[in-house]
Amino acid sequence: MRFTIYQDSRQGGRNNNEDRTTYCYSRDALLMVVADGMGGHHHGEIAAQIAVQTLASAFQHEARPHLDDPFRFLQRGMTNAHHAILDYTARHRLPDSPRTTCVACIIQDNVAYWAHAGDSRLFLIRAGRVIAQTKDHSRIRLLLEEGLITEAQAERHPDRNKIYSCLGSPSAPEIDFSRKTPLEHGDIILLCSDGLWGVMPGEKIALVLPGNNLLQAAPLLMNQAEARGGLHGDNLSVVAVHWEDNYVEALSSAISTQTMPVDEVTTKLEEFGRNPSYKSDLSDDEIEAAIEEIRAAIDKFNPKK
Amino acid sequence: MAQQANHPLPSGHQLEEYTIDRQLSLGGFSIVYLARDPEGTQVAIKEYLPNSLALRAKGDIKPIISEDHLGPFRYGMKCFFEEGRALARLSHPNVIRVLNFFRANETVYMVMEYEHGRTLQEFIHKHQGHVSERFIRGVFTRMLNGLREVHSHKLLHLDLKPSNIYLRGDNSPVLIDFGAARQTLASDQPMLKPMYTPGFASPEHYGERKNLGPWSDIYSVGASMYACLAGSAPQAADERLKKDTLTPAMVRWEGQFSDRLLEIIDWCLNLNHLYRPQSVFALQKALVADVHPPHIRQPGNWLGRFVGKFRSSPR
Repeated sequence: MRFTIYQDSRQGGRNNNEDRTTYCYSRDALLMVVADGMGGHHHGEIAAQIAVQTLASAFQHEARPHLDDPFRFLQRGMTNAHHAILDYTARHRLPDSPRTTCVACIIQDNVAYWAHAGDSRLFLIRAGRVIAQTKDHSRIRLLLEEGLITEAQAERHPDRNKIYSCLGSPSAPEIDFSRKTPLEHGDIILLCSDGLWGVMPGEKIALVLPGNNLLQAAPLLMNQAEARGGLHGDNLSVVAVHWEDNYVEALSSAISTQTMPVDEVTTKLEEFGRNPSYKSDLSDDEIEAAIEEIRAAIDKFNPKK
Repeated sequence: MAQQANHPLPSGHQLEEYTIDRQLSLGGFSIVYLARDPEGTQVAIKEYLPNSLALRAKGDIKPIISEDHLGPFRYGMKCFFEEGRALARLSHPNVIRVLNFFRANETVYMVMEYEHGRTLQEFIHKHQGHVSERFIRGVFTRMLNGLREVHSHKLLHLDLKPSNIYLRGDNSPVLIDFGAARQTLASDQPMLKPMYTPGFASPEHYGERKNLGPWSDIYSVGASMYACLAGSAPQAADERLKKDTLTPAMVRWEGQFSDRLLEIIDWCLNLNHLYRPQSVFALQKALVADVHPPHIRQPGNWLGRFVGKFRSSPR
């Protein structure tokens, strides 16, 4: 994997920073997370901290160096974070559970996978344009989609910060998953809290991050956003990666031995008689037979039907 | 662009003779729907649909299963059949009943009875730390009737936990989700790897699986009772094997519940499976015998508690 990565979190005009960010990578996989602890509930920063820690430590355990299933990793990681927050609430007898949004992204084999709950966003930027982004779990987005309000109204709407999915609330979070998205050389994936996208629309971000010098452009972007947020601006956080590999090249079956240790030999040899696919083969006939067997058992043991 | 990994069947969809109402829950391996049969009776339908192997896009009915996923997909189907087989042979008021099983949309479906209620997990969550002894004894004694039936069919549940114990409106418990159940007591074929939930899975889940037995489910029963009192799961068994920091129920809730109940919980939670109740029957016997109401002792000062201990001990 080749990439440039940048992360930053700023307090803005608030008294404390309830945003948390993290990224971790192994040889084959990269994880990025932004969590925005919710104001209005106590200890938002704790919920955010638990969320990023849970995901990061799961990554440290499981990415060795490859994740078996990135989507399952994200699903499990976010669900576990949700429960960890509830456990924390119970342990410390808090009157109300702290809550946080969460957006997390895995890149592995030049394919991006992401998931989110709440209104922290992910943008995929290619050639100066946003080609994919997450959909906030907010009433405002629903109203916008149904055409009941305009963009301009949305910016001033009293409910613009209300979200219906987050980690840590007593009801289970609604987590949305992306598709598997192959990346191209030069793609930028940017995760951010609403402190950034609230003052900087995605298209603007796509224009100011020219790509090849992310490490200079991203701090400028943050400066600009913080200035726009003004005296009472929200916390703003970003994790952005500039991807420098290409899915299409990686797909070719060429083997690179460049990085192999000198004393290691790779051998590919099927074990005798232990081909797992052979064991798991289940023919149509066998399926029918299994269903017949179960139906017969139902009729025999549950005669009420 | 962003979307839930797998889209549920739409409301109103006609699946064989059933009409889909809505999605009840979504797991990594299946979706459970609320539906109605032709007579209008509500049923729960479980659809085998592993997230990572089959994808159903919005508006589609049939999931897309790629060529190289077909092997694992069918392999997982075997586990789904195991669950069906396990449940079909059981007919007990405290075990979920399977009503039908069929193949459609390139996958398989299991139809189960549905009643209004909630899981014990939800109940614990709502009543954090205020679950009464009477409730615990009542629910667990009846739940164990169901578990006895399971064991008597040479089956182990292997994923017992509060979220798999469903409470009907009248608080009578039903064992649900036999996704991990295995015919371990009889089968000579290699066992499929059991699933488990940290905190509720027994130490045998992690180590030597050949030691799995009724006592493994009994560990989970103890952990579930512990969770009723604590409001959250006890320390995971693999962690306990490394460094046991679980406070025994007897120490943690002394005086708030009857000694007998607390003893039983600690008994079930023994790390050594030989020291636990060896059968559900033994556990049940202990649970119903000696139904003294818990001594409601005044919290009082330490001296009062000390004297109280003396007073109650020579039974």
